[in-house]
Amino acid sequence: MSLKDKAAIVGIGQLPFSKNIGRPEEVTALEAARLALDDAGLRPQDIDGTSKWSIQNTAENLIARNLGVPNLRWFGEVGYGGGGGCGVVAHAAAAIAAGMARCVLVYRSRNRGSGGRPWAGTSRERDQSQSESNETAIYAPYGFVRPVDQVAMFTRRFLHERGYSTRHLGWIAVTTRKHAMRNPMAMMREPMTLENHAASRVISDPLRLFDNCLETDGAAAVLVAEASLARDCRQKPAWIMAASQGMGPRNVTMNNFFKDPILESPGAHAARDLWRMAGVTPQDVDVAQLYDAFTPLVLASLEEYGFCKPGEAGDFVEHDGLGVGGNLPNNTSGGSLSEAYVHGINLIIEAVRQIRGTSCNQVPGARLSMATSGNMVPTGALLLRGD
Amino acid sequence: MSEQAEAFVRRTGGEWWMPYWEAGRRRELRFQRCTDCGTWRHPPGPMCPSCQSFGVEWARASGRGTLLSWVVCHPPLLAVWKERAPYVVVLVQCEEGVRTMGNVLDLAAEDLRMDMPLVVDFAPSPDGDLVPQWRRA
Repeated sequence: MSLKDKAAIVGIGQLPFSKNIGRPEEVTALEAARLALDDAGLRPQDIDGTSKWSIQNTAENLIARNLGVPNLRWFGEVGYGGGGGCGVVAHAAAAIAAGMARCVLVYRSRNRGSGGRPWAGTSRERDQSQSESNETAIYAPYGFVRPVDQVAMFTRRFLHERGYSTRHLGWIAVTTRKHAMRNPMAMMREPMTLENHAASRVISDPLRLFDNCLETDGAAAVLVAEASLARDCRQKPAWIMAASQGMGPRNVTMNNFFKDPILESPGAHAARDLWRMAGVTPQDVDVAQLYDAFTPLVLASLEEYGFCKPGEAGDFVEHDGLGVGGNLPNNTSGGSLSEAYVHGINLIIEAVRQIRGTSCNQVPGARLSMATSGNMVPTGALLLRGD
Repeated sequence: MSEQAEAFVRRTGGEWWMPYWEAGRRRELRFQRCTDCGTWRHPPGPMCPSCQSFGVEWARASGRGTLLSWVVCHPPLLAVWKERAPYVVVLVQCEEGVRTMGNVLDLAAEDLRMDMPLVVDFAPSPDGDLVPQWRRA
C-alpha cells in the first residue's frame, strides 16, 4: 500500500506577506483557511481532518470551532519547524489513503516579522517556548545559538570538501531574487547582483545577510482531498505522487554534523523514499521549490535529491540551472530568501501553482512539481503531478 | 557572573549534558563511553547506539583533535556576546571519534586551517564557569 496518487492538493490560500500583519496568528490562520476553501469551492463542512506544524501555536480545536467544522475525525502534527512542512502534507495524504479523513486542512500562520527571534530569549525562555527539546542551546556557553551559526558551521566544511565558493551561494540568492521581482506578493523585489550579495554584511562567516531568509508575518493554508472529491473541486488537482520524510542517525536539531558522512543531511534520507514511491527520477522533475531558509541548503539539496553529483552543484547554479528555462527552475516565487519565510508553506503553494499553470514565473507545460522542507533538520519532500 | 549572563548562558540540553559541564569545571574533557561495548558517544544520551546498552561511564578524553569547521559570529547578537564579536566557534573531531565544539584561545580566525591539530584547554564562558575551549596543538 502506498499513498501515491490517493490525494491531491485542491485548494490554496495565502495572505499578503509583511513585517507586521497587525492581527493575531489565530485570525490569520482562519483567513487563510477561508481563502483555501473558496479556492477549492469547498465548505467548512467538507473538512474532516487537520494537519499542522507542532510549533503552530493555534490548535486545531480553535480552528475547527471558529470555522464551523462539525466533525473533525483526524488531526495530526509534525515537528522540527521548517523541516515539517512537506511532512504535514504527507501525513494528510497518508490519513486520506488510510481512510481516516477525506478532506484535510493544512495551515501555518506565523508572526515572526513583528515578533521576537526564538534564539534571542534567555535559556529558560528557550526551554519553555520551543516545543522541540532545546538541544541547540547546549552551545550557549560559546555563543552558538543562532540558526545561521549552525548552518554556517555546516557550510564551511561543505564548501571546503566540494570545492564550492560563497560565489555559488550568491548565484542562488540572485536567481531567487530574479524570480521574486516578477511576484507581486514577494517582500523583496529590488534587483540583486552577485556583487550586492558579496558586499552584504557578514552575519556568521561564511554566511552573509543575503544568504538568510526573511523575517515574515504570514499565513497560508492548503486543502488536501481524497481522489474522488478532488476531481469535483473547482481547481485542477495537484496529485500527491509521492511524499516522504527523513532523519539520519545521531541527529541533533540544526547541528547536523555529528554523523558520518558529515555532509549528509536528512534530505538524503527523504530523497530515497521519494523516488522509490514516485517511480520517476530527478531528471523527470519540471520545477522545484528546494527549501531555502539559507542559500547553502539549496546547494546541498541539489546533491541529496540527485539533481547533481557531489561537487557538480556549483557549476549547475552558476550556469543558470535554477532559472526558468534552466535544467531545474527553482523557487519560482522567490522562495524563503525573497518572497517570505513561513516555514515553507509558500513553497508548497508555489509547487501547486506550477501544476495549475498560474505561477508568475510559469514553467511551460510543468507536469512534475517538487517541494522540499528544511534539510538541516528532520525533513520531508513532496512530488506533485498534474493530470 | 552577571545575572544577564546567567540567564542567557545557563546550561541546557537536559540532564545528560550536566556531567560534561561538571568535568569542564575540573579542567577535564570527558565523554560518555559504553561500559559494555566501549563505544564513545557525544552528544550524550541515555543509550549506546551501537549495542543499546544503558551502561555508561564518563571517560577522560585525550583532549586532542582536529579542526573540522568554524564560524565567525557577527551581530546581531545577544548582549552577552556582542562585546566579544567577532568571535570564533569551532567544530572539533576528537581522537576518540566523537565531535564537540567550543571557542578558540589565542587563535584568530585568520590562523585557522581545515584539519589543523587542536588541543583542549579551559576558560570561563560569560557566566564565569570554566568550559572546554580549544587552542593550537
